[in-house]
Amino acid sequence: MIKIENISKSFKNTQVLHEISFEIKKGDFVAVMGPSGSGKSTLLYSISGMDSISSGKVLFDKIDISEMKEEELSRFRLTQMGFVFQNAQMLKNLSIFDNIILPGLVAKKEPANDIRDHASQLMKQMEIEGLEERDIREVSGGQLQRASICRAMINNPEILFLDEPTGALNSGATDQVLAILEDLNRKGMTIMTVTHDSRVAAKAKKILYIIDGHIVASKEFLAGENRERELEEWLKKLSHD
Amino acid sequence: MKLLLKLVQKDFKRNPVITIVLTVFLIISAVLMAGGLRVAGTTISSLNGLNELAIPPDYLQMHKGSYDEEAFEKFVKAHEYIKDSLIVKMLDISNADISYQGETLEKCLMDNGFVIQNEGFDLLLNMDNETAVVEDGEIGVPVYYAEELGVQVGDTITLHKGDYSKKLTVSTIIRDSTMNAALTSSKRFLISQSDVDEISHHMGEWEDCFEFLLKDGASTGVLQKDYIDAGMPSNGVAVTGSLLNMMNALSYGLVAFIIIAISVLLIMIALLCLSYIIRATMAEENYTSGEMKAIGFPKKEIEYLYQMKYIILVMIAATIGYFAAIPFGDFFSASVTQYCGNGTSEWVKWALPFMGVMLLVLIVMRRCHRIIRENMKSTVVELMRAEENIKKEGHYTLPLAGFKYRNLVIAFGELKCKWREYFVIFFVFVISSFLILLPMNMKNTIENPSFITYMGIGECDIRIDMQYSEKLAKQKAAAISYLKNDPELKKYQIYQNGYVQFQNAEGEREYLRVENGDESVFPLEYLEGNAPNENASNGSKEMALSYLEASELGKKVGDSMEVDYQDKTLLFTISGIYQDITYGGKTAKAAIDFNENDVQVYIIYLDVSDSVNIQEKTNELRSILTDSKITPISEFISQTLGGIIDNMSLVEGAAIVISLLLITLITVMFLQLITAREHRAIAIKKAIGFSDRDIRIQFGIQILIIQFVAIIVGTFLANTLGESIFGMLLSFMGASKITLLVEPVRAYLLSPMVQMCVVFITVIIGTKVVRNYHIRNQIME
Repeated sequence: MIKIENISKSFKNTQVLHEISFEIKKGDFVAVMGPSGSGKSTLLYSISGMDSISSGKVLFDKIDISEMKEEELSRFRLTQMGFVFQNAQMLKNLSIFDNIILPGLVAKKEPANDIRDHASQLMKQMEIEGLEERDIREVSGGQLQRASICRAMINNPEILFLDEPTGALNSGATDQVLAILEDLNRKGMTIMTVTHDSRVAAKAKKILYIIDGHIVASKEFLAGENRERELEEWLKKLSHD
Repeated sequence: MKLLLKLVQKDFKRNPVITIVLTVFLIISAVLMAGGLRVAGTTISSLNGLNELAIPPDYLQMHKGSYDEEAFEKFVKAHEYIKDSLIVKMLDISNADISYQGETLEKCLMDNGFVIQNEGFDLLLNMDNETAVVEDGEIGVPVYYAEELGVQVGDTITLHKGDYSKKLTVSTIIRDSTMNAALTSSKRFLISQSDVDEISHHMGEWEDCFEFLLKDGASTGVLQKDYIDAGMPSNGVAVTGSLLNMMNALSYGLVAFIIIAISVLLIMIALLCLSYIIRATMAEENYTSGEMKAIGFPKKEIEYLYQMKYIILVMIAATIGYFAAIPFGDFFSASVTQYCGNGTSEWVKWALPFMGVMLLVLIVMRRCHRIIRENMKSTVVELMRAEENIKKEGHYTLPLAGFKYRNLVIAFGELKCKWREYFVIFFVFVISSFLILLPMNMKNTIENPSFITYMGIGECDIRIDMQYSEKLAKQKAAAISYLKNDPELKKYQIYQNGYVQFQNAEGEREYLRVENGDESVFPLEYLEGNAPNENASNGSKEMALSYLEASELGKKVGDSMEVDYQDKTLLFTISGIYQDITYGGKTAKAAIDFNENDVQVYIIYLDVSDSVNIQEKTNELRSILTDSKITPISEFISQTLGGIIDNMSLVEGAAIVISLLLITLITVMFLQLITAREHRAIAIKKAIGFSDRDIRIQFGIQILIIQFVAIIVGTFLANTLGESIFGMLLSFMGASKITLLVEPVRAYLLSPMVQMCVVFITVIIGTKVVRNYHIRNQIME
């Protein structure tokens, strides 16, 4: 589905990503881990076309999105990708419900009524129904993050990108969000997330570990494994190496 | 101190566009403030200088015909308060008999008199402000003609009448403290005694000017009363020194007044922007200032730190403004220095602007200090939590039916929530629109032929003036007989103009210029009441007064008024009050049948038929009625108000340039501030699929909507408040109720279009900054 071929990224004189290549298949759940400043968020934004790359290719169903013009890329992001950020980023002049439906109304993939129905369904699914008319400052961090996931899902994207989705949440809210992500992936949604949190990474099928802009290790979980224990051991081993 | 300067330098680097724009704003304010005051200073210095060197009379009485010279001398000797007196003999020569470069001066409205240099006072000066001297065969030409016709030293002026012709070489240009201004309808040429003697044998008519200089503290009113009571020669116009000063002030001071008024508006805008910027910057700096407070930085030090930047900015602006005001002010005072010279107190034009910019510095410093101090009142915790305390801006709702024009809906929605943030730019757009429109409408009103109604007469096409002369009766008869048989005329009416006397509120006797003729032929719109009716129902005689005369006398419609004419007291009832800016704004209309010898001037107003060209008819009448002065009304207005119209054109041009610059700067500054403030929203929009173009369009729509509303408000204000301001300015001249005439295409179409185009282009350039807000940086911040 997404093929990353030798992408590099530099800021001024510092190279942040070094010729990274890997592939994300449909239905994958990929987690990118690594220490702070290793380049994991840069990798996420580069793959999703939110940031430009210095060299290499990002092929999305064989279409090179790094060659797309800004306008074309915006449309592509709107219809094919969903985003969730660490601090749920929403427009403060819209209610929770309008924030969720906004990308749907802009994309016009479905009639307005269908978009509204879809948003209501998503909110119910994420257990935040009843918050529709609330201001974004009137709900908890966990509720807002779930609303962000609703917004990311409104256009039925091909892939969901998440940047530290539980970074600002308490334990209870983290559990809720993780359950939702697991459920979405089970239903076929492709997910790529950047995280520090091993609980999040443990929900993934594939882990990429990145240090100083290089993927230094990767791991795929097998079905039925105790992922959290397995991941802990893997990370321990990586730190010893 | 070094640390402070480093911090300031860092701050400049962080917000270069905003800092530059704010500096430009302050510079423009300083330039205009200092420039306006430089014009004012130059005007004061020039007028004072001319008055000191040329010594204009305190009272001047014109007279045509014979008089008793001995009686005049006795009168002067008998009145101690008279310091000095002069009888200036002026040889009036018809404009048709004076030629310059092959063309006569017929088109000029001015009455031209030829004089020799005076002794003692009322001196005619050369361009170095020295007493002008001309030799035989030479002529000194009024500076008015040097400006209007381009007369230069070395040119030739030819006088001709029948077979007689006299060529005079221009040896100097004349500054005349009494008759300099375009508003004064007479001009004096300086020639030698032998030339004036020679010319008077062949052409022209003698007119005498009885001029007086008074001792300190003496009143012209007292002199006027004594002069009339003594039966001194007085069949012409009387002018006081204060009236001359007023005409000069109006001619030269108007520009200074308008520039200073614009600068005050600009300073207000600059202060508003400054407050906005300081508040925006301080909001960003709340956490840092809270931290500084927390670690024990003295409050005064923190205040000083934040003020420093603005003190440096305003000092730079004041310095640049002061020096830039030199060419700026000199450009706008070119006319007064040309007419009056540089003057004797040139220091004023350096001192006033200095005081102006210092005042600006103080105002800005005080304003900064106040805002920063207010901000600093918050506690450490309040400052550090300021971000959390941002007030809710409210919501807008997305349309149920989805988007047809998504950018329009979002732009409107956000505007609904954030309109407060747009107040400053809205205010500036209103002022800019007002600044462009007001001078444009004022100029349009003055240039319109219907402006004649503010000059005490109804709308007409052509005016024929026949001044007092021995052959006046013959001249009048010839004119009437020609006009009576002219099929190309729609209508005409002759009016007698003469003087009567009356007693003012202080018991002093004054002259009143009265027009007598059928007022229904060219009807005038009256402020109150109606035109005087010869056959009033109550049997009393009626008189209409000009606005200024009525105001000064405190007369209202229905009041009675006594005037003296030919040793008889006539009683009139005031029938109406009209607007008139001619003759110092003090005139009257009444059915007084003046004796032919007392008629100062006959004026015929006429309307030509629709198919007749006014200029061609004027030329035709000039060729037939050679002794009369024939002027199309539009020319009469533009020549009478010539200086003012020229100045208005300059002000109109300057106002357009300043306003467009202003809206460009404010748009650039505002976009910088608003995009920086909205960086998070921009990033979110980009993340969910809005393109840079979409976001730029949304900002563009918001600013253009604000501008559109502001233009409507500005236009409304220009038409209402502007009309009052214009009325206030002209009320000093005699017209209090002015209706601004708007040229719809320029005012309602071209002007808004130009303003919106300028903002549109600025938005295209200014919103490019949206591209720099990378999602990654904003969200990871």
